[in-house]
Amino acid sequence: MSTIKLLSSDNAELAVDKEVAERSILIKNMLEDVGGDMSDQAIPIPNVNEAVLRKVIEWCEHHKSDPPPPADEDSDSRKKSTDIEEWDQKFMQVDQEMLFEIILAANYLDIKPLLDVGCKTVANMIKGKSPEEIRKTFNIQNDFTPEEEDQIRRENEWAEE
Amino acid sequence: MASPRTLPARDQSRYDYSSSTGSPERNVQDELENDFFQQSANDSSTSIVDDGKDTEDEELKQFEDMKVSRTAYLPPELLFAIFGRLASPQDLQSCVFVCKSWARCAVELLWIRPYISKFKSLESLARTIQMDHPSFPYASLIKRLNLTTLVETLNDGTVLALSACNRLERLTLTNCCQVTDTSIMPVLENNPKLLALDLSGLVDVTDLSMNVIARNCKKLQGLNITGCKKTTDASMVAVAAHCTHLKRLKLNECDQVTNESVMAFTKYCPNLLELDLHKVNKITNQAVLDIFWKLSHLRELRLGHCDLLTDTAFTGIPQRPYESLRILDLTNCDKLTDDSVEHIVEIAPRLRNLVLAKCRLITDRAVQAITKLTKNLHYLHLGHCTQLTDQAIINLIRACNRIRYIDLACCQRLTDRSITQLASLPKLRRIGLVKCSNITDRSLMALVTSTRSHPCALERVHLSYCTNLTVDGIHQLINSCTKLTHLSLTGVVCFLRKDLTRFCRPPPTEFNEHQRAVFCVFSGPGVAKLRNHLNHLSNTNGNLAPDQAYYDDADEPETGLVDEEDEEDEEEEIQEE
Repeated sequence: MSTIKLLSSDNAELAVDKEVAERSILIKNMLEDVGGDMSDQAIPIPNVNEAVLRKVIEWCEHHKSDPPPPADEDSDSRKKSTDIEEWDQKFMQVDQEMLFEIILAANYLDIKPLLDVGCKTVANMIKGKSPEEIRKTFNIQNDFTPEEEDQIRRENEWAEE
Repeated sequence: MASPRTLPARDQSRYDYSSSTGSPERNVQDELENDFFQQSANDSSTSIVDDGKDTEDEELKQFEDMKVSRTAYLPPELLFAIFGRLASPQDLQSCVFVCKSWARCAVELLWIRPYISKFKSLESLARTIQMDHPSFPYASLIKRLNLTTLVETLNDGTVLALSACNRLERLTLTNCCQVTDTSIMPVLENNPKLLALDLSGLVDVTDLSMNVIARNCKKLQGLNITGCKKTTDASMVAVAAHCTHLKRLKLNECDQVTNESVMAFTKYCPNLLELDLHKVNKITNQAVLDIFWKLSHLRELRLGHCDLLTDTAFTGIPQRPYESLRILDLTNCDKLTDDSVEHIVEIAPRLRNLVLAKCRLITDRAVQAITKLTKNLHYLHLGHCTQLTDQAIINLIRACNRIRYIDLACCQRLTDRSITQLASLPKLRRIGLVKCSNITDRSLMALVTSTRSHPCALERVHLSYCTNLTVDGIHQLINSCTKLTHLSLTGVVCFLRKDLTRFCRPPPTEFNEHQRAVFCVFSGPGVAKLRNHLNHLSNTNGNLAPDQAYYDDADEPETGLVDEEDEEDEEEEIQEE
């Protein structure tokens, strides 16, 4: 099995099985473009630092032999489902900073299933919470003026059950 | 105030999001046509999100005052992807109230397909979309609207408010029968992007509305006007000529519509895949021939109760394969003979559903032709084809072993031999044998025995008026068929026992006294309760004779949920009466 090297934004060189790295469509396409031979040269991943890149590789390693995701992207049940398999749940037990870094990296590297797990994890943190609880959870400042907030609440009150 | 400090590098600029083509959030974005905020940035000053004053100064202030979460950095497409996971409107609503950047994304998802279950909610939504200075241009966010849940309460006044919407793609008003042209016309006038429109059951809607569709909704791909009986050729020909992208068209029960409309649709709408003309009973052979000449890709065709049709309609179909045709419903086209069926099977070898109920002239020869559909056939209705015999059914089942649904109601010549063969179908889920009065417990035993070779898939079994059946036979059947959710035994005298019928669901309100007296249908939990009761009797008494104790109980009938299929079946039961 061939190994390739990835270069993180903070200049750490990480060796990875080609098969594992190719869970990233970005890297896969890159390798195809250069004819597959990158054995001597590290691929720069300028948007992802070492800690995050290691985490992403760990995920790819675990999921290297997963079947491709089902084709019907539109199916509502799949989209809405927030079930996460146990290993992934544990994997995502990181601080929020890392969680969002993983989501951004998965998006940049085009690793759809990982992005999926990341988004589900955040969605689960939102579920059932009041706006104030959400702000607290993610440390978000309420930037509405009281008037704006009052108006937006009235405008959207129909969605209350 | 603390002195300004250096901002962390903006992640938005660090990350090249455009590189991940086709990631899940792309779909969301495509769906949302997220060009909207960019557009409105120039033309609205009232909206809190697009005042264009999001200057660096303001941002600086934010970073000074608090440790900003990473969510602040998440680009909208990722917020979309996250919010898209929230199934409940309440969660989305909470996101709207969190902060401006969340609101911007969450309102789109909350409003794209508002889930409305109460009239009060719709009134509130209507108020919002009619506001002069809304925070967001809500009316334009709505793409799909389904108000079927409000059937009885929906009126013209509320629907009129919806004309503020101008980007509707799907509008479903099934059975909102108080709604008329008055409100529908302005809504249609304002929504040229409509792709699918369901006005079924809006009995008062006329050609006036249909003409607006023709004039204005040229992108329409699906149109259902089932039961809009005031519709005539005058408007339908116009709709055909202008809505040339139509793929699915349902004109059921529009009985003023004639060949002229049908032939206009076949002429102008070459993409038609589904065509429902149930009870459009003025149409003749010419229309059917035209359909087959012009629409070689047709997938579904329903012509039930088009009783002017004769064999000419089908034997004249050009001799070429209609590989796409999956569903053909010819219920009560009672002039058709075996000749039609033979030709249909020849030209449409991949038919999956074939309904020939009440085509009373057909004989074993037609069934012999149907055997050529082999494994493609999943659904076959031969109710009231009274001439059929065991041998035809036996040959059919041998050839078509993937049948999941078969109805042989009132095929009174059939005996236990047919049912014994039916029992070998591994995927059989529904079996209709109403008034097959010859069948006995031997048929039930065949079904029971078959469960030893393959797990029983049966979910719905109709045995009303199979008067030879016994409680013991049914007891064994329901113990073998664990997936059973519907069992009808109306008119089976041995079942008209109070200790058994108390597990029945109540008879439909329109039944007369006699019909109520013989009604006996177990559905949903009622089946399990019947099973438990019979097992209890058999265990404690050693037989299934009625247990006197049960006669003292209150005779409250089972109130199972009546699903759509139940209702359909019920109709059948009434017909069999």
